[in-house]
Amino acid sequence: MTNLVQFYARNAQEVLGLVGQHLSLVALSTGIAIVIGVPLGVALTRRPAWRGPVLGLANVFQTIPSLALFGFLIPLPLIGGIGATTAVVALVVYALLPIVRNTYTGIAGVDPAVREAGRGMGMTDWQLLTLVELPLGFGVMLAGVRVATVVSVGTATIAAAIGAGGLGVYIFRGVAMVNDTLILAGALPAAVMALAADGLLGLAERRFAWRAR
Amino acid sequence: MTAALEVRGLGYELPRTREGGRGGHLVQDVSFTVATGETLVLLGRSGSGKTTTLKLINRLLEPTAGEVLVAGERAAGVAATRLRRRIGYVIQEIGLFPHFSVERNVGLVPSLEGWPPERIAARVRELLALVGLDPAGFARRYPHELSGGQRQRVGVARALAADPPLLLLDEPFGAVDPITRVELQREFQTLKGRLAKGMVFVTHDVREGLRLGTRIGLMHEGRLAFLGTPEEFRASGHPEVRKFLEAA
Amino acid sequence: MASAVNDARGASDTRAESPGSAPCAPCKGAPPAERALSGRGPRTTSTIALSLSLLPLILAGCARHDRVVVGSKNFTESDLLGEIVSQQIARRTNLPVERRFHLGGTFVCHAAITAGQIDLYVEYSGTAYTAVLKHPATADSAAVLATVSREYRDRFGLAWLGAFGFNNTFAILVRRADAERYGLTRISDLGKVAPRWRAGFGYEFLERTDGFPGLARLYGLRFAAAPTALDLGLTYRALADGRVDVIAGNSTDGQIEALHLVALADDRHYFPPYEAAPVVRAALLARHPEVAAALAPLAGKISDAEMRRLNALADVAHEDIATVARDWLARNVP
Repeated sequence: MTNLVQFYARNAQEVLGLVGQHLSLVALSTGIAIVIGVPLGVALTRRPAWRGPVLGLANVFQTIPSLALFGFLIPLPLIGGIGATTAVVALVVYALLPIVRNTYTGIAGVDPAVREAGRGMGMTDWQLLTLVELPLGFGVMLAGVRVATVVSVGTATIAAAIGAGGLGVYIFRGVAMVNDTLILAGALPAAVMALAADGLLGLAERRFAWRAR
Repeated sequence: MTAALEVRGLGYELPRTREGGRGGHLVQDVSFTVATGETLVLLGRSGSGKTTTLKLINRLLEPTAGEVLVAGERAAGVAATRLRRRIGYVIQEIGLFPHFSVERNVGLVPSLEGWPPERIAARVRELLALVGLDPAGFARRYPHELSGGQRQRVGVARALAADPPLLLLDEPFGAVDPITRVELQREFQTLKGRLAKGMVFVTHDVREGLRLGTRIGLMHEGRLAFLGTPEEFRASGHPEVRKFLEAA
Repeated sequence: MASAVNDARGASDTRAESPGSAPCAPCKGAPPAERALSGRGPRTTSTIALSLSLLPLILAGCARHDRVVVGSKNFTESDLLGEIVSQQIARRTNLPVERRFHLGGTFVCHAAITAGQIDLYVEYSGTAYTAVLKHPATADSAAVLATVSREYRDRFGLAWLGAFGFNNTFAILVRRADAERYGLTRISDLGKVAPRWRAGFGYEFLERTDGFPGLARLYGLRFAAAPTALDLGLTYRALADGRVDVIAGNSTDGQIEALHLVALADDRHYFPPYEAAPVVRAALLARHPEVAAALAPLAGKISDAEMRRLNALADVAHEDIATVARDWLARNVP
């Protein structure tokens, strides 16, 4: 343990740099996944026929093991190759299912009476979505973002294998050199990050969940 | 004076299902008129088509036959959302927005119509008082803090907010306990008298219907089996009417 | 496998009593299964069932001492050599061979063999000399081999068998187009372009004392940014795609030609010689000297060019490693 503390003290700048890289991988990919996933989830509530194929596809993406997904993406032009781009693409793919599915569930879970009252009073579809469905479904959607974020923090450690940086760099270095301190130096902050994301987003979720009552 | 509502030959047929199931007429050849100040009670057993008829009026379901005129205007000729803002709609489950305060719930249609905030606030105060809820105490509350009866009153206030010429009510008092229900019926009776609106009131409760309606329409298997005053209803020899009266 | 089962049954087998086989004591408990099988009453069923379920455990415990576990590092050449060694042992002895290839690199293999989790892997003399034993680099290949043989035996109980005959040194690689444009033939020439270039290395090269840090210091290399760290196997693609401008590959890699890359000469002699040879646990050799005999014919049989050819078959022609190994053995070690 003291080794670890000494390591952090001696390499503070590098540690912060890697933490920053890791955070930006996660933040960027989760952000993109939200931008793609929320409208997609909303579309699923408007077109039930799409549900099966879209959720099915997102589910397939999720089951692909992360290293395998990196392997698929690397040979592709534009979004492939080594580096952060490929890593972000892979992380977006993994974040999609929880976000799309929870957006759908959040909106579909709105009390049908509320929806009927809204329509009956003359709300347009857009007004219904923005004034009623999204606010009421927000708690559930946030749960999806939470899952996606926590998964991303973990998967992003593998990104170091393809040159995308992040805390995985320490882990891979430690594995190559059989240096447990180094492995821990990478694994510990990653775990802490995942827990923190889970906790903070969980808090936010609870704050918004009461409105559904 | 133009009638609040005119319905001619209204019909709704279910499309044939892909598996070859027979499409059916949920509503067939229904015609009636509701004058301003009048309350038409649509009575009938479950599945008789009374709720469907209601939804055909505000186009939550699109009629497959017939015509609807609201305050003289063809319902099919305007955008559905515009039409619905001119019709008050109260449902049994009420459907208050749980994340809006009472004030925001009631003021919904006016705010959709772009009324200035002061006008909305004044209207909300007026309506809450009208339905017997003290504005000072209730405006800021949220639906989950209200009792069933209070929620239903807010629902009625919400429906009246933009001063529509026509009100549609689908078993509005069905979800409350019998005592509150009678209270609400009595208050509603008084309220009706003060408002110059046409109302269509759907219920399966005969006594409620006879008490509240200026005319009774009995629906049976999608058609209007009887249309007349409560007295005419009581005196009628129609078998379906007799069944209802006996069950009352 | 058959021999192991016989050992389990024969309680008086001398091999079961030799030193270093104490864990085999359970073997002596196997006989009850034999008696039970002759059908001696109602309890035989449960006894048979119990013995049969314990048998795999017993066999695994005993068999461990009678099989050879061959490891390899995480790149193609290491896998190829590991496969050649494995097949040769299987051909010339009746020891079962278990392969544990593509372990995480030099240090993982070293930790595994010293812990007894693998019995053999192919190591490079220069790597052992500088990275494991931590001596400063020298170009004298005979001295390097002598030192590593001696110290590995004394410190780790590991024996160095005959080297294969090629020197796979680190190759600092650039794209041929760049080499021509900037006139790069030696690593010293890199100094002028480095500030504008990006480097990409595997994790091990970045950390090893005979790796990047020492290289940068000796040649005064300062790159635009810290080198990108990524999986060793991906560095070639990264260089070819233009994502990085210089990598540290292996001089015998098959992809150098195929991807139009150029290796820069080590003009200041930073890297020691890296001669590949099998490293084996002395304990295994003591018990099974036939392993050393089996591997002896391989010494000196693979030149630089031959190794490059074999690597190209695997990496460029994408042939199956086992097939490449088998064909090579059939032709060169009849």
